[in-house]
Amino acid sequence: MVNGATSNIFVGKLKDILQYSVKAPLRYVVNWGRIYSLWPVHLETACCSVEWGATSGPRFDVERWGMLAAFGSMRQCDVLIILGTVNRKMAPRVKMIYDQMPEPRYVIAFGACALSGGLYFDSYNVLPGVDTIIPVDIYISGCPPRPEEFIQGLIMLQNKIRASSVR
Amino acid sequence: MSTLSISVGPQHPGSGHFRIMVKLDGDRIVEALPDPGYVHRGEEKLAEYRNYIQNIPHFERPIVHDSSNILFAYVSAVEDLMKLEVPERGQYIRVVMAELNRIIAHLYYMAIYGIFVGHSTMFMWPMGDRELFIDVAQMISGQRVTFAFLLPGGVRNDMPEGVKERAEKACDYFEKRLVEYEKIFINNPLFERRTRGMGVLTKQDAIRLGVVGPTLRASGVKADLRKDEPYAVYDKLDFDIPVSQDGDSWARAWVHMEEMRQSMAIIRQALKDMPSGPVKLNLRGQIRAPSGETFARTEASRGALSFYLVSNGGMMPYRVRLITPSFRNMIAIPHILKGLLLADLPPAFWGLDYWPVEADR
Repeated sequence: MVNGATSNIFVGKLKDILQYSVKAPLRYVVNWGRIYSLWPVHLETACCSVEWGATSGPRFDVERWGMLAAFGSMRQCDVLIILGTVNRKMAPRVKMIYDQMPEPRYVIAFGACALSGGLYFDSYNVLPGVDTIIPVDIYISGCPPRPEEFIQGLIMLQNKIRASSVR
Repeated sequence: MSTLSISVGPQHPGSGHFRIMVKLDGDRIVEALPDPGYVHRGEEKLAEYRNYIQNIPHFERPIVHDSSNILFAYVSAVEDLMKLEVPERGQYIRVVMAELNRIIAHLYYMAIYGIFVGHSTMFMWPMGDRELFIDVAQMISGQRVTFAFLLPGGVRNDMPEGVKERAEKACDYFEKRLVEYEKIFINNPLFERRTRGMGVLTKQDAIRLGVVGPTLRASGVKADLRKDEPYAVYDKLDFDIPVSQDGDSWARAWVHMEEMRQSMAIIRQALKDMPSGPVKLNLRGQIRAPSGETFARTEASRGALSFYLVSNGGMMPYRVRLITPSFRNMIAIPHILKGLLLADLPPAFWGLDYWPVEADR
């Protein structure tokens, strides 16, 4: 049965089984750790930061879902929340901050301006959406979005992380 | 003397969407130059491509948490061009919305001030109490932040039933809370040591630099457009203007606190004296302002806010000039930061209530 031609297949299958049995629990544990310790960069780009303040406040309390509104360095942060309009002067700074964040990093575009330019779609100084300069994971619409919508977007991001593979 | 140049912002907890170029000698600030423009969106130019109704949500965006006050100035300018007389009930509802917005904006100011001096409780308490007034405004207008409630010729709709009781309940509760705010924040010895005598702007300097609003009143000048040139029904209402002679960061926090008390008194009186009747004029079709130019200003939460509007008789304004209080107060930043320690920059800077979105337009 097991000759030189088929042994490679058996070895390969054994390797697959071993890899799966180690990697799947490992993936679960690592992603579980990431989901409930999302730290955002404190970068306000426009007026949606008012609703971000309300989201961190006691009524909506985003900390319940494991996002701490901590004011840390971007080199220790996981999430970059683009709070509203990004204009031509802010765009290089946003890119610079994104490049300094360690992997894995996630971007949430918060508000109509960060999605598509919003109310300022025809302005001479506003980018048509922040995804023209950096990749975006979650889009949250509204002008400004309600805190509940931010919490919904956060849960979507957590589901996305839960399903992702470990790099 | 060797100096060190550092830039505070735009990614910094103590600046927001704004940058201050600071020159340091040791730990002392010898020069602080503001660098605005991170939120410039061309509001004035874009207003020329939107008609008078489309400009209502558009002009709320510079100051989202003080949206009724900026709209108050805009609709006053449009009504001045069109020679409209607003029904009295509409004017009372406008005053109620404007004062609710003033409390909401001042509470946001107190909350961020708490963070900037490292007082986390003072972030949580005002952010929680702010929701009470947002609830009342949401009951009236249906929106949380950007109400778009004021129209040329009145307000969008009448108040639903139960607003008066809800607003008075919120005011009753909040008056008790303000006493507690004084205990834990304004009269807190730690807060006094961080802000007393910091960022002083004397009366002469305040007038010479042309600052407006609570910053001007904290420097001892009794100037408030609600009293000096009363618009809407402010001349029928009884309220005081809190003035402090100190001119430092502490006095600015105190003035904001006292203004919230006066705003609550105005809301109570306006809800009590409100006559019945229509709330808006029945304007049909597209609004067209006759050609001409006008100037209107109101006292927003941060100070005098002016609109200069030119019309050539079309559906859209020909030119709009918006002068915001934060832009007027920005000139004081290099003045008050000079000579402070770097660690005292955030409280002194936030004491001015500088909001970059409003200043950059």
